[in-house]
Amino acid sequence: MLPLRSVCGGIWRAAVHTVRTSRGAPPYRLLSSTCDGAPAALADADTIFALSSGHGRCGVAVVRVSGPASATALRCMAGFTQRLPPPRTALLRSITDPRSTEVLDRGLVLWFPAPRSFSGEDSVEFHIHGGPAVITAVLQALGSVPGLRPAEAGEFTRRAFQAGKLGLTEVEGLGDLIHAETEAQRRQALRQMSGELGRLYQDWSDRLKRCLAHVEAFIDFSEDELIEDGVLNRVDVSVRDLQAEIERHLKDERRGERLRGGVQVVIAGATNAGKSSLLNKLCQRPAAIVSPIAGTTRDVVETALDLGGFPVLLSDTAGLRDSSDLVEREGVRRALERVEQADLTLVVVDSAHLPSEVDRAAAFLREHLSSVLPDTGRCLLVLNKADLLPEKQRQKLDMELRGVSGLPAVCLISCQTNEGLKDFLTVLHSSVKTLCGDPLFGAPTLTQARHRAHLQRCAAALAQYQRYRDTDLALAAEGVRVAVTSLGRITGRVGAEEILDIIFKDFCIGK
Amino acid sequence: MGHESNGVSNRDTPSFNFYSDRCASHMLRKKLPFLHSLLSPVSRHVGHLAGHQYDVIVVGGGHAGTEAAAAAARVGAETLLITQKIHTIGALSCNPSLGGVGKGQLVKEVDALDGLCGRAGDWAGIHFSILNRRKGPAVWGPRAQLDRQRYRDFIQSELLSTPRLTVLEGSVEELLVTEPNPEEPGHHRVTGIRLANGSHAISARSVVLTTGTFLSGSLFVGQTTSPGGRIGDAPSSPGLSHTLRERLGLRTGRLRTGTPPRIVKDSVDLSLAKLHLPDSHPTPFSFLNTHTHCKPEEQLPCYLTFTTPGVERVVRESLQLNCHIQQDTKGPRYCPSIESRVLRFPGRSHQVWLEPEGVTSDLLYPQGLSMTMPPDIQLRLIREIPPMRRAEIHTPGYGVQYDFVCPTQLSPALQVKSTQGLFLAGQINGTTGYEEAAAQGLWAGANAARWALSMPTVTLSRTESYIGVLIDDLVSRGVTEPYRMFTSRAEFRTSLRPDNADLRLTPKGFEEVGCVSSVRYQESLRVRNSLQDALTALQALFLSTSSWKKKLPSVPISETKSTLLTGLDLLQYNDVTFEMLASAFPESLSSYMEFAQRLKIEAVYKPHCDLNKKEIERIQREENMSLPQDIDYFSLPVSLSDEVREILDRVRPSTLGAATRLEGITPAAVVNLLNYVRVTEKKKETPQYFDGERVREDAA
Repeated sequence: MLPLRSVCGGIWRAAVHTVRTSRGAPPYRLLSSTCDGAPAALADADTIFALSSGHGRCGVAVVRVSGPASATALRCMAGFTQRLPPPRTALLRSITDPRSTEVLDRGLVLWFPAPRSFSGEDSVEFHIHGGPAVITAVLQALGSVPGLRPAEAGEFTRRAFQAGKLGLTEVEGLGDLIHAETEAQRRQALRQMSGELGRLYQDWSDRLKRCLAHVEAFIDFSEDELIEDGVLNRVDVSVRDLQAEIERHLKDERRGERLRGGVQVVIAGATNAGKSSLLNKLCQRPAAIVSPIAGTTRDVVETALDLGGFPVLLSDTAGLRDSSDLVEREGVRRALERVEQADLTLVVVDSAHLPSEVDRAAAFLREHLSSVLPDTGRCLLVLNKADLLPEKQRQKLDMELRGVSGLPAVCLISCQTNEGLKDFLTVLHSSVKTLCGDPLFGAPTLTQARHRAHLQRCAAALAQYQRYRDTDLALAAEGVRVAVTSLGRITGRVGAEEILDIIFKDFCIGK
Repeated sequence: MGHESNGVSNRDTPSFNFYSDRCASHMLRKKLPFLHSLLSPVSRHVGHLAGHQYDVIVVGGGHAGTEAAAAAARVGAETLLITQKIHTIGALSCNPSLGGVGKGQLVKEVDALDGLCGRAGDWAGIHFSILNRRKGPAVWGPRAQLDRQRYRDFIQSELLSTPRLTVLEGSVEELLVTEPNPEEPGHHRVTGIRLANGSHAISARSVVLTTGTFLSGSLFVGQTTSPGGRIGDAPSSPGLSHTLRERLGLRTGRLRTGTPPRIVKDSVDLSLAKLHLPDSHPTPFSFLNTHTHCKPEEQLPCYLTFTTPGVERVVRESLQLNCHIQQDTKGPRYCPSIESRVLRFPGRSHQVWLEPEGVTSDLLYPQGLSMTMPPDIQLRLIREIPPMRRAEIHTPGYGVQYDFVCPTQLSPALQVKSTQGLFLAGQINGTTGYEEAAAQGLWAGANAARWALSMPTVTLSRTESYIGVLIDDLVSRGVTEPYRMFTSRAEFRTSLRPDNADLRLTPKGFEEVGCVSSVRYQESLRVRNSLQDALTALQALFLSTSSWKKKLPSVPISETKSTLLTGLDLLQYNDVTFEMLASAFPESLSSYMEFAQRLKIEAVYKPHCDLNKKEIERIQREENMSLPQDIDYFSLPVSLSDEVREILDRVRPSTLGAATRLEGITPAAVVNLLNYVRVTEKKKETPQYFDGERVREDAA
C-alpha cells in the first residue's frame, strides 16, 4: 500500500488559500499577478516543528518551530517561565523534556515573534548538538508539547509563502518542492512499512477499519436490518485492545525497529554488468560474491559505509532479467522493490553492450533507464568494463555522453583496472552531499516523531470512543473515525467507500 | 405504484392547468384546498403554449421534478412542469415511507430550503418515529410511514397553487438544442423541448430532466420484459435518450432496481408478526410545523416478520425463470432484491417489514421482499413466510432497468457541463430513493431558475449539508451502483445534524439562493437569535462547583474540579437537562424553554463541532477556488504527469476542493493547479453556529 496520499495529506492545503483575485478576474489570471504581499490570516492554528538542518557530518542541528504555540515550546523546554527572551537573540540554555524535566542538551535558542520570522508566524529555533540521539530526544519532546505536531512536507515553505515571505520565483517552485519532499517522505515511509513495524501498523489499521465499519453499520442500518447487538460489544473489546496496544507501543521505546539512517544508495542493472564488483570496490572489501556467471547475486547485499563523512547504506541487488528460476525471480522482485525505495540508484551497464554510435548509445541508455527505474528517480549511470572498449571509443563516449538531454550523470569506469573510479567517487560524493543537505532525506528520526504524533492522536481518539460509547454513539464513532484518519496518515488514507465495502461484505443490508 | 391506476387523463389530448396567485401558506394546513376542482384539468389546445417562452421547463413529476418545479418558481422563474399524468404527480412509486437514517437529514434540509417533501410528510404521515433515538442526536433518523393518497394530494395541491408554476400533461419527445452562448463554457445550449404527438415546441431558457427510471426503461417480471419506467405508465420517448446520447454526447450507464409485490392486508395473519409501534409523540419533519396532521393516537403500526428456509428454496428453484436477476446490470448493494439477499447471505433469516400503505388502503407493503420472479412463484414465495401463509398478492413485484447519465458530467449546480441550461436530477443521475431525488430536484430547480434569470448558479458544500455531500459525491466521484445516502458518507456528521438544518441552510436559501420564503427566513432568524442568546445566557452563569452542587443537588459534580463551571459546561453533563437549569435560574433561562432540546444538543456537540471547524474552513476555501471548465489539461505548461492530466481531463473538477478528493491527484499537482484557479466571490460569512466569533472569508 503506497502511503503517498496519507503521508502528505493536507500538505499543500493552506498554500492555496492566499491566492486572491479581484472580482471578475479572468479565469487564467496567473498567480504572480494575484499574490499580494500582505500577511494573510493564518489558517493553521497548529504549531509545527521539524529538523531544518541536514544529516551526516554536522556538529549542530537546527530544529525549527513555527506557529502560535511556539512560545509555549520555548517556555516549557528552555525554561523561560517568567518572560520570553529578547527577539532574534541567541541565548545558551539547557533544553529539557517537558514531561520528565530531564536535560536533553545544552544549546542555543532563538525567539522570532511574528511577523519577523522565516514563516511570518511566531517561531523558535533550537540549535542543538548534531547526534541522532539528541535530535530524536528533542523532536520527541516537542511532540509532547500541547498543540505541536511534526511538519508535513513543504509545510514551512508553504507557511512562508502564505505570509508573503517568498519571492515569485520561489512560489513557482513550490509545486516541485512539495513533489520532491513528498517523494522523499514516500520513500522513507516505504522503507519503514516494509518491515516489522509496517506489519504492525497495517494490522492495527485493518482492525480499526473493521471497528469503524461495524460502528457505522450499527448507526446506519441497525434500525431496519438484522445487526445483532453483539457487534458493538465486539467493537468495544477491539477498541480497548487497540488502545492498550498502541499505548504500550508508545511507552516502550525499544519496540520500534531501529531505523537505519543515511542515504539509501541502490546498485541495479542487468545481470553480469558488474554490480557486485562495484559494491566491493566501494566498500573496499569482498562483501559480495563476484563471478563471471550471470545471476550470481540473488538477494540484496547491504553494506553501511561512510562516504566522505556522510552515512550511506549501499545495497547490491540481483541482476534484472526474466528468469524461470524461482529464487532468482524473487531476487529480481526484491531488487525492483529496493530501487523503488532508493534515494539514489546507481544503474550499472556493461559498456561492451553499448552501440558504438553516440546517438544510438544515448537512446539505448534512455531505454535501459526506463526499464530499471520506476519514474524519474535520482540516479547515476555507471558504464562499467570500460577497459574492454577500444581507447578511441572510450574517449568519444566519455566526452559526448556528458550533458546529453534525458540522461543523468554518466561515469565510465572499470572495476578491473580502477580506471575512472576516482571521478566516479567525486560525482557520487557530491550527489550524497546534496541529498544529505536536505533535512528530509534519510531522516528516520523525523519519520519516527511523525509516527509517534499520529499514534498518540489515534490512542486519544480511541479513548473518546470509550467515553461516549454508552451515551452518544455518533460521538463515539467520531473517535474511531479520527483514530482511522490518524493511523491512515501512516498507512494510507481510508475513504468512506472502503468502510462501506466492509459493511456490505460483513452484513446483509437490504430493506 | 402499479396498483394505483389513474386512467383519468388522456395522453393524446395534452392539457394544462394554470393556476396562479393562490398564496401558499407554509404552515401545515388544517385542510387541503378544493383538491378536486384543482385536479380537473382545464383542457386547452397545446398550441396556446407554442409561442410561450418559459424560464424553466421541468420534465417529470416525481420527487425530483416536483421539488425542482416548486423551487424554480420560488426563485422567481416562470416554470412549466410537464408530466405524463397529472394524477401521478407526487406518487410514491415504491415504499410508502419517507426519511430514515441519513435520508431523514435530507428531508430536514430540503425543508430548510423551503422544499415540499417535509411538509408533505407531516401531512401524509401515519406512523412517525425517530430512528437511532438512543445513538445520539447527530444520527437521529426522522422517519414516517405515509398514506400514499394524502402524500399525492398534498404535493398536487401545493404545486397547483404555486405562483408562476404551470403544470402540463404531456410526453416530451426531444430536447431542442442549439449553438452555445460563446461567453459561457459549453458546447451546446438547450432552448426548450418538443412534445410528442403534434411536435409542438415549447421554448425555455433552461430545462430540468427528472425522468427517473423512464430513460430507456425496461420492466422485468419473470421472463417477460416490456418497455417502461413504472408499471401502469407509458414508456418515455426514445427521442429523449437519443438526444442525450447522440446529440449531446453524454456518457450513460445502466442500473437496475425493483419493488416488492403489494399484499392484500386482510389475507395476512398479523398476529403471527411482531407489532412495531410508532413514537407516542410524533415529531414533524418540517421546521415550520409543531405537530403532524395525524394525531398521535391515530397512527398505524408496522409489523416485523422473517424469511424462512422455504423462501431461499423458492428463490433457488426459480432462478432460471428470473431474467432480471441473471443480468449483470448494477443493482444496489443496500436495497437488494430478496433473490440477491438469500444468494449472497444463504442460510439466514432475513427481516421483512409489513407496512401500511395508507389509512384507508387495503394493502400492505412488504419491505425487504423486492422480487422479479414470475407472479405465481412470487405467491409461492411469500406464502413461505408464516403471517402470509394464505396471503394474496394485489400487484406482483417487478424489476426496472434504466439508463442514467454518468453524473461526473455535471457541475455542482447539477447542470450538464457541456450543455448550457440543461439540468438533471434524481435517478437519472444514478441515485436511488425519494429523499435523494427531492434534494437534487430542489437544487437543480433553484439553479435552473437562476440560470434562466441570468443569476450565477450556486453550490452547497459538503461541509454544510448532506445535500452538498450527495452532490459532491455524484459530480466528483460518479456512481457504480445506485447511490443512497448514509450518515457514514458525511465527514462532518457531528455538525450536520437534523436538528440544525435550518440554521445551516435557511439563511443561505433566502439570502443567496432565493428559494426560501421570507416567512420561513424570519422564523429561522428568530430561532438563531434565540439560541444564540440562550447560549450566551448559559455561559454567563459562572459558578464554582460547590455552588453548582447546591443549585443542582441531584447531579454528581466531581469535587476534584476546583475550577469554575458555566451553565454550558453543566449542560454537557449526561444527567443535566436544560429544564433543570431553567428551573434553577428561571429569570435568565425560562424564556428559552421552547428550545430546551436543541440547546442540550448544541451544548453536547459544541466541543466536537469546534474541532471540525478548522477542517471545514479549509475545505470551504478550496471549494471557493473554481477551476475553469474549458481548461485544456493536456497543454498546461506545468509539471503534471500524464496520469494526472488524464484524470483531470476526464473528471474536470469544478473546484480545487473537488480536484483534491480525486483518487490519484497528488498534492504537488494541486499546487500546480493553483495558477489556474479563480476565486469565487464569497459574500456571506462562513456559517458557524454559535461559536461566538464569526470568521469572515478573506478572499477579496
